[in-house]
Parts: sequence; C-alpha cells; structure tokens
Amino acid sequence: MITIRIRYFAVLRDRRGLQEEHYHTQCSTVEQLVNELIAKYRLGLPSALIRVAINSEFVEPNVQLEDGMEIVLIPPVAGG
Amino acid sequence: MRFFLTHEILSPQLLDSPAAGGFATFEGKVRNHADGQAVEALEYEVFAEMALVQGEAILNEAISKFELEDARATHRVGRVCIGESAVIVQTAAAHRREAFEACEWIMDQIKWRVPIWKKENYAGRPSEWVSGGESSRPAEFEELYDRHIRLPEIGKEGQLKLQNARVLLVGVGGLAAGSLPALVGSGIGTIGLVDPDTVEGSNLHRQTLFAQSDIGRLKVERASALAKRLRHSIQCHPFPEVLTETNAFQIVENFDWVVDGTDSLDTKFLLNRVCRSLRKNLVTASVHRFEGQILTITPDGPCLECMFPDPPPNHCVGTCADLGVLGVVPYFLGSCQAVEVIQGILGSATLTESLALVDLRSLQIDRIQRTRSRLCRLCNQIDEAQPEQWEVSSPDEMPHAALVDIRDLSETPCLALPHKRIPMSGCYDRKWDQPTIFICASGVRSYRLVADLRSSGFSEVYSLRGGMQSLISRHG
Ligand SMILES: [Zn+2]
Repeated sequence: MITIRIRYFAVLRDRRGLQEEHYHTQCSTVEQLVNELIAKYRLGLPSALIRVAINSEFVEPNVQLEDGMEIVLIPPVAGG
Repeated sequence: MRFFLTHEILSPQLLDSPAAGGFATFEGKVRNHADGQAVEALEYEVFAEMALVQGEAILNEAISKFELEDARATHRVGRVCIGESAVIVQTAAAHRREAFEACEWIMDQIKWRVPIWKKENYAGRPSEWVSGGESSRPAEFEELYDRHIRLPEIGKEGQLKLQNARVLLVGVGGLAAGSLPALVGSGIGTIGLVDPDTVEGSNLHRQTLFAQSDIGRLKVERASALAKRLRHSIQCHPFPEVLTETNAFQIVENFDWVVDGTDSLDTKFLLNRVCRSLRKNLVTASVHRFEGQILTITPDGPCLECMFPDPPPNHCVGTCADLGVLGVVPYFLGSCQAVEVIQGILGSATLTESLALVDLRSLQIDRIQRTRSRLCRLCNQIDEAQPEQWEVSSPDEMPHAALVDIRDLSETPCLALPHKRIPMSGCYDRKWDQPTIFICASGVRSYRLVADLRSSGFSEVYSLRGGMQSLISRHG
C-alpha cells in the first residue's frame, strides 16, 4: 500500500468534490490509479481524456507510482 | 437604388419616411491637411460596377441589421476640392440610436468593401494614391506608443512589428473581453473577429466588450465598433459566422496569430489542425468556474493533440452556460492570451512548451511542461509519411490477420467479426508475431498502440483507420 498526493483540476475537481487529497492505493501504475479513481468517484471521463502530470511534466500511463508522489490530474476544459 | 456615384457637388437629400423619428446624416469632407502636409484637393477613382453592387448590398444589409426605414449613400468620384463633401450617408430609423449607429456602420463598410481609391494632391509635392482606411500620422504613432517604445524589449522596431501583425480572434466573448482591448491598445494593426452569435443578457457579466444596449446585436459588429473607437487606424475584419472545416482555412490563412476564445472543444481542436497545417501560431485558452488553462502552439512546437491524442467529444466537460463561471476569470485568461501574442510577435512567447493552469481562487499558477508526442497524428503526419502503412482501411485488406478489439470492456457496440477483446493496457506485455489488426472506437488509440508496438520491434501490427465508427458506417 502506498500513499499518493492527488490534485484535481476543473471538471475533475467538481466531480471529486475536493481540490486535493492523500490517497492510499495498491495500484502500481498511473493508468491503474486513474482507472481506479474513475470507477470509485464516477469522474465521468474515459482515461484517455485525463492527462497526468508528475513533477510538472506530463507522463505516459505506464509510469510506475511511488510512495509519496504528487500527481496532478488534468481534463480538457471547454469554457470561454 | 440607394447607393450612388456622382461627379456633381453633393448635398444631403430629403428622406421621406413618415414612420421614422430619428434621421442621421454623415458628411465626409475633404480637409486641408493629411499627415502634416497641406492638401489642395482630392481625386477619387472608382471601379464603378463593383462599387455600385457593393454599396447597394451594404445599404440593404444596414436596413435589415438596424431595422431602418430608409438609408442612402452617395460618393463623389473625380476631383473634389477642400470643404466639399466626398461622401454623404443618411439613415432614417424609428429611434436615434439605430440611425446614428447605422450611419457609422455604413461608413466603415464603405471604406472597407467599396473599391474607391483616393489621390491626395499636396501643395508643392507630387500627389499620392492612398488606400481608403485612415492611418495614424507618425507623430501620433510616437505619442500613442511612447510607453511601449521606452521599453528596451519593444522600442520603435518592436512597435512597428505589432502594427504590421495580423491577429485573428475566434470567439468574441469572455476571453476576448480580456484579449481584444489589450491587443488593440498595444497597437496591433489588423484584427479579425469570428463569431456567429448576438449579445445576450447572460453574457454581460463576463463579456465586458458589450453594453446592455448591445443585447440582440451581432458580437463581431459591436466588437469592431469598439476596436475602431479605441483606435481609428485599426483594420478590423468581422466574420459573423461559425468556424467550420469549410471556411476555417480561408479565414485563418490571412492572419499570423490566432487567439482561440471559443467555448467549444470541437473548434479548439479544429483550430489546432488548421493552424498546424497552415503553420500559424495559436494561443488557446479555456475557463472553468474559478480556473482556466492557457497554452501557445507554434508551428514546430507541441500541439493540442500531443496532449489529447483522442480529441475529446464536444460536451464531455460542460461549458460556462452549464456550469457557471466567475466573470473575471475569462477576462484574466484573455489578458494572458494577449501577453502571449505580443511576446510571440516580438520574439518568443512563454507557453510554447508548457500549459499554465490558473486558479483564481488561490491565485496559484502551475506550469506543466509539454513535449511533442511521437504518437500525435498531426505532428507525425507532417514529419514522416511512413505511418500511413501502419493503417488498414478495412479488415478485408488482410484476411489472414487476427482482429483485436482494444476498447475498455464497457465500450459498445461489440464487433460483429470474429475477434479477441484485450483492453489497450493489456496489449503491451504480449508478443505480436502474427499479423494483427487492432481496433478501437475511432482509430486513435489503436494507432498509438501500433506506434508503441512497432517501436518495440513488432512489425506485423496494424491499426484499423477510423476504428469501429468506420465499420459501422460501412456496414450500416
Ligand atoms: Zn501534436
């Protein structure tokens, strides 16, 4: 079990109902974590539309999670 | 006939409209100076056939646009002396506001659309032909932009670059409320405005380009009127239309920088494709309640599809109309767009390889580095032709290949042909030595997967172009 700090932006923040959290998980990759969050919190977007950034850089879904990591979840934004 | 050309001295006509209560008359006269030079007379040359058709069209448009009772315009041709009228526009409407505004609109349209050129006869100097649009005098230019010119990063040279720049704003709403006045004030010489909408009451809390009295009027027209009031010399091109695959190339082609201020994901991705293919610069921004995103896309930098290779469906995340937005948020992001455009014109923009996430509740700005993705169809189509061979347009092209559906298990409809179902993430750990065609919903994920697998050394893997959508449309 590891603990990850997660920050949510835009529609993901609305749907999760908070801006950030410390999250305990068994997941080992970014992709598994994103799918777990989508299912658990009904985020309402497919994983392909949620981009993940770690250390201010976008990462691919197969990146390994490590205890204490901070990840940022970024959906598309449409309003103008 | 409402539009006339004449060699005779002009005087206003009597408009006979019993239903009208407001009558406006504008007379454009020849003045005795231009650009600090004494002028003796003007000479107007006209391409008459086209001028008459255009003039007539402008007056008819004005009548329906402003609900006028009547409108007339007459332009002189040939030599016109100091103090004589070169053009007279007259309007009659139920109320004064429509009459005044129609008069101004008609004059702007005549200058822009009617092929009339004027030659200034200076005292003691050869005469010169000048275009219809007014331009600022050199002394005025230096005064207006004095505080810019003092900045070592801009100077006179930089200010001239801004004057020569052509910037297109797509979407004239909340974001444009921040970008348009900033760009006009900074001295951008030519601005295009694309938006099909009219002003609504619910726009006004964030779209501060418009006043309550503008409700019901075309946004591009009110925004050009504002831009002209801010700067007489600006060249403003309004396009009261939706940007589509059909007109986008033609409109974007004439500009150097595009500022995306739309609230449609479809239009954002369309602009990304068009700007990429025409090698134009694009500053795109979006807002959501108290926060926003902004990034700049240059011809050789990472694009929007590098970030989201599967362009998102238009309504997947909602808009201001559904979710609400703090009025000042788009204004703030729009101002940031103007800063990007100005810096880009002067040298280099800031967000060409990053995305800024702006949260106005906390005033926190995060910047996420973006890189060009080897899996982005747009960037790779331009770079290399080869990936074409990774795709098949139908399973029939390779009857012996196995079919693998890589969509998530929840995605429907099911594939009717014999196949295996292995979600994309499960495909990376296997060996693919037999010919295999991967299928997803639209052909984007399968293409990414094939790109990955081929870079891992599997050469017999292919992607079905268009995915399930193409199979369904082919087989009904
Ligand atoms: Zn790209």
